[in-house]
Amino acid sequence: MKKTTKFFSWTPDPGPRTLHFTMETTEKTELSILSEISRISNSTIGLAEKLRRIVEVIAKGMGKDGASVFLIDRSGKTVTLHAAVGLNQESIGKLSFPIGMGIAGWVAEQKVPLALEEPYADPRFAYVPESGIGSFKSLVAAPVMDEDSCLGVIFVLSSSVWQATSSDITLLTTTANQLSGVIKSARLFKGLQDRLADLASIYEIGMALTSTLDLEQLLSLIAKSTTQSLRAQGCTIRLMNLPEIVSKKTFAYHSIIGEAIRELDARIGPAIADRVAGQSRPLLIQDVSKDGSFNESTSGSVISVPLLFREKVIGVITLYNKQKDGQMFSDEDLQFLTTVASNAAVAVENAAMYERMEDLAIEARTRAQELSILNDIGTAMSTTLNLDRLLRIILTAATMGGSGLGFNRALLLLTNDRTNSLQGMMGVGPANWEEAGRAWGEVSSKHKSLMEWIQTGELFEHRDSALNALARGIRVMLDPAEGVLALTVLNKQPYNVTNAAADPAVPKDFRELLKVNSFATVPLIAKDRVIGVVLVDNMFNQRQITDGDIRFLTMFAHQAALAIENAVIHTNLETMNKDIRSLHEQLVQSEKMAALGAMMAEITHEIRNPLVSIGGFTRRLAKKLQHSEDKKYIDIILSEVSRLEGIIHDNLSYIKEVSLQLADTDVNSLILEILTLYEDELAQRRISVETKLYPVMPLLKIDAPQIKQAVINILKNAMEAMENGGTLSIKTCVLDDTHEAAIEFGDTGPGVTAKTMHNIFNPYYTTKPRGTGLGLPITNRIIKAHKGKIDLKNKETGGAVFTIKLPVSSTK
Amino acid sequence: MKKILVVDDEKNIRELYKEELEEMGYAVTTVSDGVQALLAMGTGKFDLVTLDMRMPDQDGIETLRKMKEKDSTLPVIICTAYEEYKHDFGSWCSDAYVVKSADTGLLRETVKKILG
Ligand SMILES: Nc1ncnc2c1ncn2[C@@H]1O[C@H](COP(=O)(O)OP(=O)(O)OP(=O)(O)O)[C@@H](O)[C@H]1O
Ligand SMILES: [Mg+2]
Repeated sequence: MKKTTKFFSWTPDPGPRTLHFTMETTEKTELSILSEISRISNSTIGLAEKLRRIVEVIAKGMGKDGASVFLIDRSGKTVTLHAAVGLNQESIGKLSFPIGMGIAGWVAEQKVPLALEEPYADPRFAYVPESGIGSFKSLVAAPVMDEDSCLGVIFVLSSSVWQATSSDITLLTTTANQLSGVIKSARLFKGLQDRLADLASIYEIGMALTSTLDLEQLLSLIAKSTTQSLRAQGCTIRLMNLPEIVSKKTFAYHSIIGEAIRELDARIGPAIADRVAGQSRPLLIQDVSKDGSFNESTSGSVISVPLLFREKVIGVITLYNKQKDGQMFSDEDLQFLTTVASNAAVAVENAAMYERMEDLAIEARTRAQELSILNDIGTAMSTTLNLDRLLRIILTAATMGGSGLGFNRALLLLTNDRTNSLQGMMGVGPANWEEAGRAWGEVSSKHKSLMEWIQTGELFEHRDSALNALARGIRVMLDPAEGVLALTVLNKQPYNVTNAAADPAVPKDFRELLKVNSFATVPLIAKDRVIGVVLVDNMFNQRQITDGDIRFLTMFAHQAALAIENAVIHTNLETMNKDIRSLHEQLVQSEKMAALGAMMAEITHEIRNPLVSIGGFTRRLAKKLQHSEDKKYIDIILSEVSRLEGIIHDNLSYIKEVSLQLADTDVNSLILEILTLYEDELAQRRISVETKLYPVMPLLKIDAPQIKQAVINILKNAMEAMENGGTLSIKTCVLDDTHEAAIEFGDTGPGVTAKTMHNIFNPYYTTKPRGTGLGLPITNRIIKAHKGKIDLKNKETGGAVFTIKLPVSSTK
Repeated sequence: MKKILVVDDEKNIRELYKEELEEMGYAVTTVSDGVQALLAMGTGKFDLVTLDMRMPDQDGIETLRKMKEKDSTLPVIICTAYEEYKHDFGSWCSDAYVVKSADTGLLRETVKKILG
């Protein structure tokens, strides 16, 4: 080290000699310098200013024209000029040497003072002309020591050749020691200040974090405050692994200088977030362009930290670029961000949790409300087993606001298994805008519940709405090609049609019928069987039908379907009951008739024999009598006898079992035959006959004599009805739909009175003084035995029409 | 002269038929029940029988069956107040079914048709 004599190397070995020497020559100077320095160091000015004044004091105090202070950087690898007199002020902050290089670097490394009378000749000397060092001839340097570590180097520069004495060196060393204190306390103070600032920021951020449970707001707050605290240009926060409800908002973005950061983040943000989340470790990239994992043209400085909650990464917070140009993020920044992030993570998790709770609470509240509505509707539905009333209740519930589902209009259709179709049953809702306004006005002014409506009977009052007619006009085959109604049944699922015009499942005519572009259908399912469809729309307030609506509607439909099923079963039971009752009555009736028949048979038999004797002998008597007077009495006896025999005949033919002798018969000629038979009587009664006989009447398998009897009975009645003459029209034809042959008899008599209408086929019912009341019952029996029907109605122009219908392919 | 056996439990009717048929030129024997009718058949030969269906001791149908057993070629006219069995008369093997009436025209016609 001691290479030449031209420089003086001094080791800190202050012996009494030296001290003595110093005291002698520089005592005064030293004291004044030291007192000045301590004055400066106690002042409140900043470190840079303190150093500037201190070098001034030293240069002046030692009678030289230059002095400077180099401080070792935080990295510990370089010394940098921090203050100087006599040197170029521009060099401050810029002139620096690596440890070991240059005089400053050498002193910092060796931690010993050095006096160079001719520094330019010294190999350790690094000449930097811009610094202005060139105007000096000699120098003395001393390390600024803090215990064993070196903080920097202090120089005294002389523009004339200066051979420094040991007292000079001692003075400088002492000054350096004092300077060390100044620097240390200044640094401590700065550290304390930074620490305080950090703490304040963290505290502030912490306060901010607890100030809101709104996740969106919270994320924005975190981004904003960290950006500010770290003097960054912007920040992004990405969330992950959060409950489903909040996962939609996984990205919050905050940028102080806007688009620049947005673009940078878009380029590298996702990859950084992935890396940080994957490794679950903070990441500092001081210079992105040098990182290697990114495109070289991408520049910037980034710190990124995971948001950890219970060791689970719930997000990544990333900060971009220091606000000051060229500045980069430091370890301290990362440390700070990590601290903030750990608080932020808790806050984020809390907010997410709260948000989910809130969503759940809202959902629970809606559910509870829905259930209560459904319960009310269920109670309402249970008030009736009458299908018509029930459907009205269901549709009113679907359209009522408040205690109902609140749709504008609702239609109900039921499936028909027999015809494999869907038939509109009822529609509830206003027909047009005016009615809608009026109806809602009424409802809101009355505020009635469904139950009240039912109890007051108001619900069942007006029925003939236009919508109801519309509903009843809908009939759809259960074929997928028929569209959405059929599909609802076939696929057993609801349909929410939001754009009917563009929906291939909605036939055009159906859309035009409904006059809406959006509606929803839901199947009515009872015991796994689709029994119908409910269709709803919001024609008037245009409110969109949501998935929630559909879910609620489905629950409602389920309940409605069960109620309908019950009502239908009930109705079926009722009709079955009625059928059984009437069957029973018929049975009783036929038993009575059988008993009556047996009795009648006996009576007729008993009567017939005496009649035969009376009549037979009277006839014999008649043959023997010549007087016309006497003959008159005999004729009376004979006619009465034959009338009695007629009565007996009628009675018996009513009672007797009809057994059929079937043969192919042309009914047209059968009718003409009968008309010929009654030709005279008809003419006598001034009755004209009009016949319209079907030219291609098929042959019918019938018992001709019996059918003749049946027809005659009707014919006779018609003649008797037209007391003062009239027209008898007889028509035959084949009915296309039922494939029956029909024979129609119309007269121009008074027609059948209502009372008679009910009794006309009852045996012994007659309005005629000498009638038996057996004519039509016999006809009826004969026709029924042929599996035919007999219909009766009155013409609007007066007169009765009897129609006999016989199956065409009747083969018994 | 053709001989006719009239079987009827009612005296007046036997009388009436006898007079009417004798007037037509037939020899008429009358009995009041089925048993006597079968006995009569044993003693004399008849060309025709008119048979009432319901008589006290033996049912007309039973009598008819026995008569046909004895002489299957003997024509029998069922002559009854019952209308309701008309359709079945063929299965009883009678040759005609006449519902009794004060007007004996149908009976006389039927007899004439069978006996010529
Ligand atoms: N063409 C008709 N116009 C008006 N009333 C009729 C007609 N046909 C039947 N009736 C009414 O129906 C009643 C019953 O008719 P039905 O033929 O059963 O018995 P009747 O004609 O009264 O007696 P009978 O047939 O023994 O002469 C009649 O008494 C009459 O009042
Ligand atoms: Mg009549």
